[in-house]
Amino acid sequence: MSSFARSITEVNHLEAPNITRLIYRNIKVNTDPGSLTILIGLPAMYLVFFGFGFASLQSSASGGSSYLSFLTPGLMGFQAVMAGTVGGGMLWADRRWGMLAQLLVGPFTRLQYLLGIMLTSVAFGLAGALVMLGIADLLLGALPVSLIGLGFLLAVIAVGSIFFGSLMLLIAAKIKSNTTYNSIQILVLFLVNFASTVFYPYSSALPAAIRVLFAINPLTYIADAVRAGYFGAYTTTVGYEVLVLCAETVAVLFLAVRAYMRSDVSTE
Amino acid sequence: MVDLVVEAEDLRHSYDGNRFALDGVSFTVRKGEVFGLLGKNGAGKSTLIKAMTTLIRPSSGTLRIFGMDPAKDGKKIRARIGVVQQGESFDFTTVEGNFDVYGVLWGIPRAERRRRREALIQKFGLEEVRRQRSFDISGGQKRRVQVAREFIHGMDILFLDEPTVGMDVIMRRTLLDSIREEVKGGLTVVFTTHNLEEADYVCDRIAVIDEGKLLVLDEVENLKRLYGGKKTIDLTIDMGSAARFIPALTQGLGPGTSVMPEGDSMVILTDDPKDSLAKILELSQKMGVQLEWISVRKNTLEDVFLRSVDHGGEPLGSA
Repeated sequence: MSSFARSITEVNHLEAPNITRLIYRNIKVNTDPGSLTILIGLPAMYLVFFGFGFASLQSSASGGSSYLSFLTPGLMGFQAVMAGTVGGGMLWADRRWGMLAQLLVGPFTRLQYLLGIMLTSVAFGLAGALVMLGIADLLLGALPVSLIGLGFLLAVIAVGSIFFGSLMLLIAAKIKSNTTYNSIQILVLFLVNFASTVFYPYSSALPAAIRVLFAINPLTYIADAVRAGYFGAYTTTVGYEVLVLCAETVAVLFLAVRAYMRSDVSTE
Repeated sequence: MVDLVVEAEDLRHSYDGNRFALDGVSFTVRKGEVFGLLGKNGAGKSTLIKAMTTLIRPSSGTLRIFGMDPAKDGKKIRARIGVVQQGESFDFTTVEGNFDVYGVLWGIPRAERRRRREALIQKFGLEEVRRQRSFDISGGQKRRVQVAREFIHGMDILFLDEPTVGMDVIMRRTLLDSIREEVKGGLTVVFTTHNLEEADYVCDRIAVIDEGKLLVLDEVENLKRLYGGKKTIDLTIDMGSAARFIPALTQGLGPGTSVMPEGDSMVILTDDPKDSLAKILELSQKMGVQLEWISVRKNTLEDVFLRSVDHGGEPLGSA
């Protein structure tokens, strides 16, 4: 058999940039049926079960405005959280299964690897949001969202995906135990999910502690902004929420990059 | 003039600021050679590989790969190297999926990627498991996938950190022969192993490292001559006599020999096996020690390794 390990200069190479190749790889190894079912299936189940379940409860109490319409943009925003879990999970799994070190002895820099994960998270977040929109269209018929609104809400989801991707990367960079990582991820998911405006609107009737959680939870800002884009109801409050979200995203991204750059890449 | 692929001078590295995993290591790797790194567990071999592959930056010293500084030109260096790490490294997909994804990561065009994948799957006997998930195959098969996968891309130097662990004899020989084949094509290989027999088979030069220090470095045959003496005597005596016989034997055999006890057995490295045998027989008769087994053989790399580690790198004649 002829020699395999010809000099690098003698082998043809694709012109695709490193980032594109890393994103391709991240999507390819994370789109197994199990992962996709959880990634898309869980919010879809929320939409169907909560949507119809609470719709009947709410319509009897308030005379029939659609809870499903309220929930749809909330769950589209929730896709940012799901995308974040994909990002953190990728770093964690790559380190656990030795691929992080293997990639970092390849033709990539640490920052390229990180960027690859972030952009993959954004891609999953946007794809998930569009799937939610498709399901809602099937369930509700005509949707109120305009093209501009769609562009706005997708931009918010992209920023949100970077926020939650950074948060999960920060956790993944610090924690090596599988059990601890999964436990923290479940806790974070629960807190951001239910202490936000994804499932119900903010109300001054809520207990004070829960109101504080609502106020500091980025998913509240994401859900509100996505809902604004979905219904075309932009307000000054939403503008402030988007600014806070961007500031929080920059801060968490900075912390995540710092933790990741300092972290040990080996599995030992 | 010899082309140098790796130049290391006085490399030191500490993970915790106290103990040095590398402690003043200097060596060069020549273009087109198989350079073996031998050492016990924790000797510093993997740390050295991590430094050469840019995964860690040494605490001090000078390191140049292809004449470039890894701290400044890491990406350029990494584009020209192949690395098979000591631990597992797989993507969560099938065996052939791992080849494909890895080929994409290295920017290999589809047609060439497929051609190489098929050739490598055949060469490394992976046909039966090609559609299984990499995590579901046996340890030896995983190692084969890891090694074979690395050949999906071109490289100028290949770092193999204990590549044959878990492989059966036939596959181990296939891999070693492949390495020799690739080296003929101009590849340089840095190879760490615990298996001295395979190091003897495949390596041109060998460095023995212990507690972060480079003890010896030379061509295999020179090492055998310098550190192993001309011959090796394997000796087993009756149980319970070792405590009194070994010190007497060590003293009685004199210069030019080295006795390495292992329970009731011992390995004796000697320049003059005839004289040593006569002295062993004479001493055993005099002390009433029964010889259970005695044989004379050519020395091996294992003798060199044991000798160099036990004596801190001192050659046989200087002990």
